[in-house]
Amino acid sequence: MNREKVVFSFFMILALTLNFGFYVGEIDNPNHHNVYELFAVVIVNLIATVLKFGDRSQMGAMLLATSLVALVQLFSASIVWTYVVNIQGHTMTPEVMVTIISLSGGALIANFISVILLIIETSMMRH
Amino acid sequence: MSLVTSLIMRQMRAPIIILIIGYAISVLGMVLTPGLDNDGNVWHMSFFDAFYFVSYTATTIGFGEIPYPLSNAQRSWALFTIYLTVISWFYSLGKIISLVQDPTFREALKINQFKRQIERVPNTFILICGFGETGHALTRALTEKNIHTVILENNNHLIQTLPLEDFKLVVPGIKGDASNPEDLIVAGLQHPKCAAVIAATSSDETNLKIAVTSKLLNPEICVICRSEIAEYESNMFSFGTDFVINPFDTFANIFGMAMHSPSLHLLYDWLTGVEDTDLTNPVYIQDGHWIICGFGRFGQGLYQQLLKSNIQVTVIDPSETKRDIFLSRPENGNNDFIIGTGFDAHTLTVAGVTEAVGLVSGTDDDSNNLSIIMTAREINPELFIVARHNKKNNEKLYEATNANIIMQPSEIIARKIRSLLVSPLMIAFLNKARNQDPAWANITISRIVGVLGESLPNIWTLHVNGEEARALCKVLRLGRIIRVGNLLQDPRQREQQIKAIPLLLKRNHKLLLMPSDDIAIKSGDELLFCGTPGAMRSMSWSLNDIHSLNYIMTYEEIQDSFVWRAAHQLIKRNERRNRPRQNRHRIK
Repeated sequence: MNREKVVFSFFMILALTLNFGFYVGEIDNPNHHNVYELFAVVIVNLIATVLKFGDRSQMGAMLLATSLVALVQLFSASIVWTYVVNIQGHTMTPEVMVTIISLSGGALIANFISVILLIIETSMMRH
Repeated sequence: MSLVTSLIMRQMRAPIIILIIGYAISVLGMVLTPGLDNDGNVWHMSFFDAFYFVSYTATTIGFGEIPYPLSNAQRSWALFTIYLTVISWFYSLGKIISLVQDPTFREALKINQFKRQIERVPNTFILICGFGETGHALTRALTEKNIHTVILENNNHLIQTLPLEDFKLVVPGIKGDASNPEDLIVAGLQHPKCAAVIAATSSDETNLKIAVTSKLLNPEICVICRSEIAEYESNMFSFGTDFVINPFDTFANIFGMAMHSPSLHLLYDWLTGVEDTDLTNPVYIQDGHWIICGFGRFGQGLYQQLLKSNIQVTVIDPSETKRDIFLSRPENGNNDFIIGTGFDAHTLTVAGVTEAVGLVSGTDDDSNNLSIIMTAREINPELFIVARHNKKNNEKLYEATNANIIMQPSEIIARKIRSLLVSPLMIAFLNKARNQDPAWANITISRIVGVLGESLPNIWTLHVNGEEARALCKVLRLGRIIRVGNLLQDPRQREQQIKAIPLLLKRNHKLLLMPSDDIAIKSGDELLFCGTPGAMRSMSWSLNDIHSLNYIMTYEEIQDSFVWRAAHQLIKRNERRNRPRQNRHRIK
């Protein structure tokens, strides 16, 4: 068992599960989507991205790309949230929530692809 | 992804993750810890506020407690935040600094820089292995001629001083062992832009290895080797090394040339010398008794040349075995061999220095050579002295001795290789010139002096093809006749001549020495010229600019724009119409 691989897979899968947790619920209901969960998703995704740095293989490049996509989506979601709540000073409305959740839905797909790639890579390894 | 970025990324993983985790814990704690607003209500920071607070705290900027003064609970968490984030920053910065100082990283960075420099070379480059005296002289000579060079050198110090040299072009250099094929590949042996490899290290064995590697890994490439030992030389030739240059043989040949025909030697000196320096004076070698001190490769080479001219020679050398071999040869019957070093007055007097006309100080030790020259000059100030110069840093001392000919191996090699690479026709010219009688060389010299004046000429080769002579080829295709003399007309003032002389014409493997002005040029010809830099530029005008060429050939000027062309035709038509009748008739 390779410890590096465990940490690597752990963060990638955690990114997916947290992302999913934030995503599920009615899309326009702010009560169904927790800000702490979004924070956790961003942090875990950041770590997962950094873990993919410096891998020169083709698979490594693909994994890094999907992670970067997820990050871009999540950052946009958090920026929308910050802009509306902290800069404009409004309370969270269903319309804004829809935007945030659809952005995080994109990130969910990117994270999903990441995990699929990870599974493919693992299953291609022969003992 | 390049190796360098990959290395950085991999090394930066841990510090960045630690930073992210540190920030995440701090921000989350800041959000969760309750505070009080101005009215005393319980208040929580939003993620935005918390991130702002942690950012300015972690970077030690410290804007203070905003928007409300912190509660004690928040302050205790802020304390924790400060230590956590500041320490993670220090750790990350420390990592980055240690990465920059890491030898592996630095090496990767250097190789990267070297590769980028090679990519920026516009056309082809020449790989020079060994940046000693020869490599240095060669690099200077080639860069002056706008030929790019790349250096592979084992001595780190020499590579580090490379950017400080004031060469005309950027010379990429890399540290590496030239006898190691991998280092040669890194230096660009298999690069498509690499046109030639020059093995100029001081060791014959290394040079041999370079030649083998180059011919195996890149058979198309031109390989030039420096060699001082005959066995290595034949070995190098055996697998197709293009040129092997032995400084001692080369010098012996030049010496022979100077003996046989001083004017030919002068011509050689001018045409292979450094451009735009002053013309040198001819060297006259007298017949009479000669003394050779040091009977090594250098001394033996010169001895053979002197023997050919039936000159009486006395050899001085400390080796007894050499003496036995020398005396056993029947052709050496007339000559003496004295055991000794030659830097003491006694040995020199015994050898007959008082009546001798010439002396060769050819040991491989500079102090011995200098001492021989000083002693001999004291006894006989009229001596003609040929000195062997071994180490570059003794240059000033040799100049001070006023020796008539100073032989410096690296200089000889650099000169020869430069002629080979810059103007291959030059070698053909000199070989052909060697078969001419001395009177021919005298005439050529006086022509060069007459046209060019006091400084050494530039040498250039004209290939009559669409690339180098656009206009000329276009006109030749139309069936017009252009003669060598036409190219020597000034494109600004066609009655005047530019300061250039055609030296050689090559057509279908045939060589014509000093082509006369009335020879018609054909497409595919190669012409070797010598002249001033200004003449070279003027000539490139008449070769490539159709207007200049038309002017020279006294055709009418062509009008460039539509309006002028129309006006021109109108004027012409009127001229014809107004011409007297019978005249017009006759033209028809």
